[in-house]
Amino acid sequence: MKRREKLYNRRQTTLFFLAAAIFVLAAVTVSGILVEERAAATDFSRTNLAPGIPYLFGTDWMGRDMFLRTLSGLSLSIRIGVLTAAVSAVTALCLGTAAAVFGSRVDAAVSWVIDLVMGIPHILLVMLISIACGRGFVGVVAGVSLSHWPSLARVVRTEVLQIKSAPYVLAAEKLGVSRLQIVRRHMIPHLFPQFLTGTILLFPHAILHEASVTFLGFGLSSEQPAIGVILSESMQYLTTGRWWLALFPGLALVFVVVLFAMLGERVRKLLDPASVHE
Amino acid sequence: MKGRKLTSCAAAFCLAISLLAGCTGGSGTEESVSVSETETGTGGQEQGQTSVVIAMGPTSEPEAGFDPAYGWGAGEHVHEPLIQSTLTVTNADLTVGYDLATGYSASEDGMTWTVTIRNDAYFTDGELLTAGDVAFTYNTVKETSSVNDFTMLDYAEAVDDTTVVFHMTRPYSIWPYTMAVVGIVPEHAYDSASYGSNPIGSGRYILKQWDRGQQVILEANPDYYGEAPKMQQVTILFMEEDAAFLAARAGEVDLAYTSATYSDQTVDGYSLAACASVDNRGFNLPAVSERKDEDGNTIGNNFTSDVLVRRAINIGVDRQEMIDNVLNGYGSPAYSVCDQLPWYNEASEVEYDPEEAAALLDEAGWHMGDDGVREKDGVKAELNLLYSTGDTVRQALAADFAGQMEELGISCTLEGVGWDTAYDRALSDPLLWGWGAHTPMELYNIYHTLEGTNSAGYSPYSNETVDAYMDQALASSDLEESYELWKLAQWDGTTGVTQDGDIPWVWLVNIDHLYWVRDGLNVAEQKIHPHGHGWSVVNNVDQWTWS
Repeated sequence: MKRREKLYNRRQTTLFFLAAAIFVLAAVTVSGILVEERAAATDFSRTNLAPGIPYLFGTDWMGRDMFLRTLSGLSLSIRIGVLTAAVSAVTALCLGTAAAVFGSRVDAAVSWVIDLVMGIPHILLVMLISIACGRGFVGVVAGVSLSHWPSLARVVRTEVLQIKSAPYVLAAEKLGVSRLQIVRRHMIPHLFPQFLTGTILLFPHAILHEASVTFLGFGLSSEQPAIGVILSESMQYLTTGRWWLALFPGLALVFVVVLFAMLGERVRKLLDPASVHE
Repeated sequence: MKGRKLTSCAAAFCLAISLLAGCTGGSGTEESVSVSETETGTGGQEQGQTSVVIAMGPTSEPEAGFDPAYGWGAGEHVHEPLIQSTLTVTNADLTVGYDLATGYSASEDGMTWTVTIRNDAYFTDGELLTAGDVAFTYNTVKETSSVNDFTMLDYAEAVDDTTVVFHMTRPYSIWPYTMAVVGIVPEHAYDSASYGSNPIGSGRYILKQWDRGQQVILEANPDYYGEAPKMQQVTILFMEEDAAFLAARAGEVDLAYTSATYSDQTVDGYSLAACASVDNRGFNLPAVSERKDEDGNTIGNNFTSDVLVRRAINIGVDRQEMIDNVLNGYGSPAYSVCDQLPWYNEASEVEYDPEEAAALLDEAGWHMGDDGVREKDGVKAELNLLYSTGDTVRQALAADFAGQMEELGISCTLEGVGWDTAYDRALSDPLLWGWGAHTPMELYNIYHTLEGTNSAGYSPYSNETVDAYMDQALASSDLEESYELWKLAQWDGTTGVTQDGDIPWVWLVNIDHLYWVRDGLNVAEQKIHPHGHGWSVVNNVDQWTWS
């Protein structure tokens, strides 16, 4: 055991885990896209089959293979997660930096918007925006990405405010370096670890909210292979004893979310100067 | 570190569970409320055989209360208002019978209807029901009804205490069917703000209690002028389908609505009753070529605009297979919007014939491509089938239909749409509709050209001959005669809306309305159920018996 520990230090195991997690998520995403057509195929000769071979997760009332549906549902969730995390991150970075860099008026305005968005319950806001944007893929992406940036923006803003009064930034200012240059050269590199971790941790949130809003019927349409759709459909069949319709897709969703959460945690450890040498 | 890792996993897990559980929490508690409610209203059997407990869907609860002016009994889901009397009733064979009326007649030009009413009907507050109340009711619903069309009525007038005259704006031969859905309210005690929750009527039942979101309790009207109701107390619980199923399994209700989803289950002490319905499902097939209207909406469809294609679809769909697959056998093939009703033309019926369908498509120039999809001039034979999102039966019907069309070489995609956009989208893509009403007016609404346009309302289509028959039918002074004209509108030997005609809609199935019925409960003869799986089952609750 001792020799093994020496062979692989914590940094290496963490890196290995990172690679494995990313590989699994990427594999789910890609295979989900590839089987999308087969996942939607209905076959009334094989309805309501319990889990077994060849249908690992069973089939539903239209004879769709639940394993393939779950796979493409997760894939869609991850893609929505990536898109919304990206949009949220960019919004948060721009607004957070702007608030901290451009004087008190901009700061007041941005802080007000952050408070406004944070003041409305997430799920409500996601639903409202999703309906306003016509539901479906566009609605969900708009809803989730326009409601998840404030917490990250707030973190960015406080960080930037702190760095602003750091001696090296003050010195740069005195030497006549332009504001944008300071942001680009001195602030963003400093912000990066926090920002990246925050972005990755947005994923599980985004995925769960996508599933929730779809579950409630305000998101993706019911023929799309989304986990929220699968779970809300399965509610109708639980009383008749078709447990597999909800159990496996639900577990798969939790698995992906946990994977993302652990990924974020590991990345933080690797990037954070306080823990990078542990 | 290990501890933190575990905490983070646990936190993520809790987040996942709580988010999803949070969403279901609302409906979950609601269900448990309504289920526990049933414990107070015990099943009818124990209560001396004259009461019955019924589970209906939450959407059956009348939002605006029991006010005929705000949709009670009328509208999309017609049923008898029970608490109020109506002038006429529809019989089991959907011909017209009398309730309050003792006779009616239309003038030769169809512009006035004279109805005489009985003089022994009293409201439950003791006042006599007079022609004045009838006139007041009709003038009120004309002003306020948001669910029914009363533009054909100019005004109603009470000539004396037992005679009421309706002055029409245009001839309307099927007025007796409208008279069958309007409950008569008392002029002296009608306040539109409070009537809905405290209705006073002259019908078979009195509203005894209404707990919003939970239950309605009706009690037999002791002064009812007709045959005394056999069921003294009727309790109606509003619950989701799964809760209704569980309530039946727990023996808490005597009759519970259910659907094909549950039809393979068994419940001890209950049998599954299937009520025939005209609750049909069908696709509209836009009958004109694609164009943009002035608002930028797409109207028409280049594939279904060819009548041969529409005919091929109509005979290329195996309705029985659809019933077996999707409805577990609980349904009947639909060939028109009004199957088995007095105005149904049997020429609508077609045989499933895939070879002939393929031949029709070939004749129309749509030839099979290498990929199994037909083509014409480089254009693929494609349909984008719309259904109302969240409706699992419609989704499954659409999926089955798509599978059958693919065998014919028509490539199909499914798309769930909300009703906010469905009406506009249906002008260019087939939408899976549900219709079925106890009035021939539905034929008019679907097939007749809208005034001022050159197209019918729900799907682009127009045929002057069909229009003319329906106009004649409405102008007819004799109801029985008008049935023949409605039939001619469907098919007159040369043109119409059937297979040999324009076939602008393809009808698939009539969905049986399913109920768990406690053994020993006899629900009497049910008239064919209209669209809407709700109150129509209790139309005749006064005649139900326990054995």
